Amino acid sequence: MKLARLIACKAIVLLAIVTFAQGDAARGQPLRQLIDAQVKAGWQADQVTPVGRADDAAFLRRVYLDLTGDIPNYDDTVKFLADKDPQKRAKLIDRLLDDPRYAEHQADEWNLILFGRHPSEEIRKLGGVRDWLAERFAKNIPYDQLVRELLLAEKGTENFYAQFNRKPEDTTVAVTRIFLGTQLQCARCHDHPFERWTQKDFYGMTGFFVRLVVVDKGGAAKDGRYLIAEKSTGDVLFTGEAKDQTPGKKGEPVKPKFLGAAVLEEPELPKDFKEPDFKNPKNLPSPKFSRKAKLADWVVAADNPYFARAVANRVWAQFLGRGIVHPVDDLSEKNPTRHAKLLEILAGQMVEHKFDLKWYIRELCNSETYQLAASGPVTDALPRWYERARVRPLSAEEMFRAIHTATGYEPKDKKGSRVDDYFLRYLGEPMNGRGDFQGSLNEHLFFNNSGNLRTMIRDGKNNLYRTILDSKDPWDQKVDRMFLTVLNRPPRAEEKERFVDHLSSADGKPDVLVEEAIWVLLSCAEFRFNK
Amino acid sequence: MHNLCPKIEHVSRRAFLKGALATGTGLALPNWGGLFNSQTMAADTAKKRKACILIWANGGASQLDTFDMKPGRPTGGPFRPMQSKIPGIQLCEYLPKMAQHVDKLAIIRSMKTQSPDHPDGIYHMHTCYKMSERMPHPELGAMIAKYAGNIDADLPSFIRMGPTGNAGSGYLGPQYEPFGIGRDGRLGGFTSAYLDEKEEKRRAELFRFMEEQNGKLNKAEPFDSHRFAKERAWKLLRAKKVFDISKDWDQYKDRYGDSDLGRGLLMARKLVEAGVPFIEIGHDNYDSHADNFVCHKANMNQLDPAWSTLLEDLGERGLLQDTLVVWMGEVGRTPNINNRAGRDHYIRAWTIVLAGAGIKGGQQYGSTDQDGKDVKDNPVSEGDLFSTIYHSLGVDPRVKHYVGTRPIWATPEGSKPIKELVG
Repeated sequence: MKLARLIACKAIVLLAIVTFAQGDAARGQPLRQLIDAQVKAGWQADQVTPVGRADDAAFLRRVYLDLTGDIPNYDDTVKFLADKDPQKRAKLIDRLLDDPRYAEHQADEWNLILFGRHPSEEIRKLGGVRDWLAERFAKNIPYDQLVRELLLAEKGTENFYAQFNRKPEDTTVAVTRIFLGTQLQCARCHDHPFERWTQKDFYGMTGFFVRLVVVDKGGAAKDGRYLIAEKSTGDVLFTGEAKDQTPGKKGEPVKPKFLGAAVLEEPELPKDFKEPDFKNPKNLPSPKFSRKAKLADWVVAADNPYFARAVANRVWAQFLGRGIVHPVDDLSEKNPTRHAKLLEILAGQMVEHKFDLKWYIRELCNSETYQLAASGPVTDALPRWYERARVRPLSAEEMFRAIHTATGYEPKDKKGSRVDDYFLRYLGEPMNGRGDFQGSLNEHLFFNNSGNLRTMIRDGKNNLYRTILDSKDPWDQKVDRMFLTVLNRPPRAEEKERFVDHLSSADGKPDVLVEEAIWVLLSCAEFRFNK
Repeated sequence: MHNLCPKIEHVSRRAFLKGALATGTGLALPNWGGLFNSQTMAADTAKKRKACILIWANGGASQLDTFDMKPGRPTGGPFRPMQSKIPGIQLCEYLPKMAQHVDKLAIIRSMKTQSPDHPDGIYHMHTCYKMSERMPHPELGAMIAKYAGNIDADLPSFIRMGPTGNAGSGYLGPQYEPFGIGRDGRLGGFTSAYLDEKEEKRRAELFRFMEEQNGKLNKAEPFDSHRFAKERAWKLLRAKKVFDISKDWDQYKDRYGDSDLGRGLLMARKLVEAGVPFIEIGHDNYDSHADNFVCHKANMNQLDPAWSTLLEDLGERGLLQDTLVVWMGEVGRTPNINNRAGRDHYIRAWTIVLAGAGIKGGQQYGSTDQDGKDVKDNPVSEGDLFSTIYHSLGVDPRVKHYVGTRPIWATPEGSKPIKELVG
């Protein structure tokens, strides 16, 4: 017993020394190595057995989806798999980060974060801020600048605040959750039951949004429909807990207060100040003092204790599956994480690299941790120790694009290239309240029985279906091509045998058999998930 | 000396509340995320095979013209009350068949609810929570599908037809989303295979082969959920004959009445027999802001034979003691009659009727004042109503789930089943 304790003590001391030494050597070591070292230390300390490295095919598909929101086509697949360059993975990551689809995909992801799957009809028609995001990501604008522009709502980003029109409490919940990784919503109606936040904290933040005015410009949607103006007066009137509310209750004004920090210093208004009207969209008054601007500055400040951690955690989760803190927007002392030190490193480096997301993502994708296989005995979709690669469903947008790429179906017009309503309806929200995937009956009825998917498989001249039917190659080569095109890997021996049997069967017409085979590959779990 | 287990494994109060000790699964395991061992609960409920048929009075039915008559009062309207087979219980003269079934009915006359309009009222009366909360609450049907449904069933557990709810399966997830049928009883799109049976079977087997291959290497839970859902789609094709009532219709047409509602309720009875735990049939349209009396007479013409026959039919087949039949809309209607001979929305005092599944029939629960303007005694909230419904179906009314980290209960705190109804 004593010996075991002694060894244990020494092990802890050794670990502490190693960690300390790592901290010292952190400067100069690329982030990818720091990540791997921390994750390895976690495995050792908790006696977790990781799986091995993902093979080339698995890595190829995963990194294409993560960086471009689409699978690689047949040519890109074959080329990568045949490439003997030992640096090919790193070079692929570089290529994809410079691909225009990178910006489009990040725009899709962030637009979804900012607006969710059920924005109002208006906001949906306007597309949220998707196009603005795509443009910013294409230029790799640093994240802090991006958020600042979003929160100033001046040039093309008005829709973010506009979605909360006249509900500053909803704005509070969204801004704190998305940019500060803090879930405040419980503190709206009563002091938070187990976190440190009180209603005063909640309404202190609401004070920054209570003076915002959403002005409808009317007219053509092309110019953007909304403008965000700001009043010089107006305060949150706090009336206590939700359960104690009675009609006509008079509230106490709450001064704006930065979350977990100081009350905002504001200059006094002149005594005879009269709030102007906001009726003329062409000539909106500016406030005497802008709370909105102060909030924007504070949120993205390098010393804001939440901002860097929140984005480091969130983008980590985008690629590694499970946030270091999980859920990603719940960075709380009461929400413990095994990898607290790793998060500090990530956040610190994010600040050091001035919120350069491309750099950050490049490091994540080049880590060994990211490149682990998805196979093995662990059944969690998002393994807690990152001992296996994460498994998550393709989004509606990704499925739409991937099916196009896999089948070779070409949309007839630009409108056809944006994800269609059926995909959004059946694949838009495949999770339950906890964020766990659940297959839905309606999704499969659509996939099994709709003419839409049939059309995508069959229609066109140079698509996979035609190529397979018209090709004079032997069946096993055709099966190779099918697998490489749809699943981005060559078939295993049993699969090849089975598919050749199927396709060369005398029992059915060749076009039906080919269509069935393609359908099966599109329908299987391997296609449905990013692993 | 040193505590060597990793901190994360300590059951902090927070982790306990989150049920963080359970592993995540998107699989069909019941009550994922719940704190109590409701897997047993679900298995128990399934054993007794409880079911619920919701007759949804879309638009909001007028209580004063159906079950809470006020003869001789300025708010009473032109319809006359009729004596039911139980002394003291009267209902509208246009519900003569229902008058013969009052011994089965618990008529709640004291509904006092919070959401006065259609979108919010439909949401509130389907989920027992306000729409303005912006929480993804599941509908009654989804909750019952989860706790009274059979995972291996060929048919979906939450089926609905016509104008119904607007909340969906919420935080329970897509596995419990409703399966919709057209007003005319026809199945929705994508329920017909475009391949013949042999071809469908062939590709199904090829699919299963691929899933098996995948399963050899990859064990993550979502893969099972995916395969399971696809099998459900094939099972539905196999079982969808039950939706076709055309062969039975001649035999039952006169009893149920030749209306969408009549056909819908016959189909509902068949689905209950086939083991479906929740079916909702929407009845259009009670939203009579004008011509209230013409509208309600026409509706009752359809409602009376259809509803009474359903009760009879279930009774004859020994299903009524395990099947709850609910009649409700999103709101009641105003005692005051407006200048278009209409009644507008009213939530201060209105009526909902329950029958079956052990509900003590032959009673009127709660009452309203002489003009029907307010509840006199025993007001019933949405939460109490849902508690009563869940309780009679063997579902825990306070079953807990999570939306992210926030715990959320099937009924609001303080909701209780109505003792006089459930015994």
